[in-house]
This record gives sequence, structure tokens and C-alpha cells, in this order.
Amino acid sequence: MSARAEGAFTGVLRDVERQLALPIPDRIRILRELEYDLEALSGRFLAEGLSPEDAIRRALEALVPDSRSLGELGRLHAPLYRRMTGHLSAHRLRLFERCALVGITALVLVAQASTLVRADLLRNPSPFLLPVLGSGALLLGMVLAKGFQLWVKGDHTDPSRGLRPILAGSGAVLALGIGGVIVDLYRLAAVLERSPEQAGILTPDWLVRDSALLSVAIILALAGGLAWLVFSHWVSLVSGARLDLLGPNPRVWPFDGRNRVQ
Amino acid sequence: MTERDFDVQAFARDINELLVLSTLQDGPKHGYQIGLDVESSSNGLFRFRHGTLYPILHRLEDEGLIRGSWSGDGGRRRKAYSLTATGERHLRGETNRVQEIVSRLMQLLQGPGEVRA
Repeated sequence: MSARAEGAFTGVLRDVERQLALPIPDRIRILRELEYDLEALSGRFLAEGLSPEDAIRRALEALVPDSRSLGELGRLHAPLYRRMTGHLSAHRLRLFERCALVGITALVLVAQASTLVRADLLRNPSPFLLPVLGSGALLLGMVLAKGFQLWVKGDHTDPSRGLRPILAGSGAVLALGIGGVIVDLYRLAAVLERSPEQAGILTPDWLVRDSALLSVAIILALAGGLAWLVFSHWVSLVSGARLDLLGPNPRVWPFDGRNRVQ
Repeated sequence: MTERDFDVQAFARDINELLVLSTLQDGPKHGYQIGLDVESSSNGLFRFRHGTLYPILHRLEDEGLIRGSWSGDGGRRRKAYSLTATGERHLRGETNRVQEIVSRLMQLLQGPGEVRA
């Protein structure tokens, strides 16, 4: 998406944006409203006979929120999660979030394992099944953490951070599954070379065991890949809208928490 | 007047909100138009500066007293506000309350003997 031409108020809008500690979609809505009002009001002052400089100055004075108004806007638009956890100190909040994440990841792992036990796939599993399940649970934990950060906590200081590890994790789970199938096949071939008479028993057994391994790896990788796609699309949409409004700015683009004025 | 505690800061905030609501009785308006109309209809007595209008507008929208709607195409989008039915009822009720407070205040200022029990 191409950035719009630099407007008379772009610099002011960038300054306001840096002071709004809100999710990007909320920031964009507030800035779009402000942008239109600034342009319309300065146009009105111009039509009344003011010089362009005076028209812009008076519009800025009337409409650009001061720190108190910005603080109030921040409170009004704060995500529900921030309002609910506002009383906790940063340290306690971080501890709580980490515990919740570990708990949820463990729950996912238990749910995966119990599903497989019910499906009778752990009776004679591939040695690679547990590593695949473990890395899959880790991957789902990363997905949950990213979704939580973007859509519950509304922390958009660096929205694209953590997306590549999700994609890489999906690839790693799939590679682990495929690698496991290949290693199992190699081991089967080695056994059959020594005792070919066991082919009738060992080959179907390998097929069942490794098709389960491959299915689990593919499902987990697909889930991770799909989550990555959704996150990337959303980040690209909001970043595009922001770029369209404010243009590329080396001081604040890409998003960098160090530029934020709280 | 109701028996609830009177808070001067909250009263000032209520006045600002009522000014916005009353301006929107004429029809939907953009934020800057609301500010201009409040200023011109009060002969400059009430004026929103330094973006104080936006928290008021967003709070009223959040409470369902006004409705914000976006229009425009391409990158240039604008937001206009209109009064909701709840907002109209709120405006009527609060106007009566403010009237009563001001009338009590005037009685106080004119002399303690005239204050109602």
C-alpha cells in the first residue's frame, strides 16, 4: 500500500500517535477523525479570511489533544484486559501472564495426548511422536501468546514480532514428522534386510505408526501456519492503514517501543 | 433536585456533555462543527480547546448517547455524530436537573433568606 502525500498535519498526527498508548486500530480511528477535523476547521478559518499560518495555528490549538485529553482518550479506549488488570504491578502481571501461558500450553499437551490415547495411537507409537507433540504444544503456546498480545492485551508496540518463530515452528513440526517417518522407514528397512520373513508383520505396523505420526505433524503444522497467516494478514492491514495515514517515518517506523511516550 | 451528592467537577463535565448533546439536536455534525457551534451559540462563553472535545464525544458515544458514523471514500474518511433516542432523553432529564441547580445557586447568591428549606 502506498503512503499518502505528506499533509500539513502529518507531523502533528505522528506526535499525537506517539503519545497514544492504544492498540493500532484505535489509534488510527482517533487520528483519522482528528485529521479530517483539522483540515476542515483550518479550511473554514481560511475561508473567513485568516492567513494559512493563522488558520492552521488556530485549528491546532482548538483540536489537537493535550496530554490530559490524550490520557482521557487512552483510558476510554483501553482494552478490557488492561482495564481489568490495571491494578496489578507490571511484575505481577508478567508473572500471571507467564503462568497462564504455561498452564494453557500444558493443557493443550494433555488434550493432544488424551485424544491420541483414545484413538489407540499411543499403543505402539513412533519414538518421534512425543517430540512432535511437545513441539506442537510449544507452537500452540506461541500462537496463543501472540493472539493474546494482539487482541486481548492490545499491546501493539511491535505487532509483527513473534510471527516468524510461529512460521518457523510450524515448519519445524512438519520437518520433525517427515524426518521421523524417514528414520522409521530406514530402521524398518534395516530390520527387514536382516529378517525379510517379518515383512508381513512389521510393514503394516510401520504404516499405522508413521501415518499417525505424519498426520499429527501435518495437523499441528497446518494449525500453526494458519495462525501465522491470520496474524500476518491482520498486522499487514493495520500497518497499511497506519502507513496510509502517517506515511513512513524513520523515527517511528517500524514500531519501536523506545519511541513511545507513555 | 435529587438527593445525590453534588460534585462541582462532575457538574462541569456534565455541562460540557450537555452542550455537545444540545448542539446535535440540529442534526449530525462532525467534531469540529460541534466545537464551532457550541462556541458561536454561546457567544464565545463556552469553547473547547486542546482537543478536550474528543474525550467528551468518545465518552458519549461509549455511553450510547450519541452515535458516530464514518463516511467518505479512499483514504479520506470522516466521522459524524448524531444524537440517539437515549441521548435525547438524557438531555431532557439533565437539562431539568441543571436548571434546578442553577436556580438554587441563584437563590443562594441573591440572599440566604430566599433559600428554600
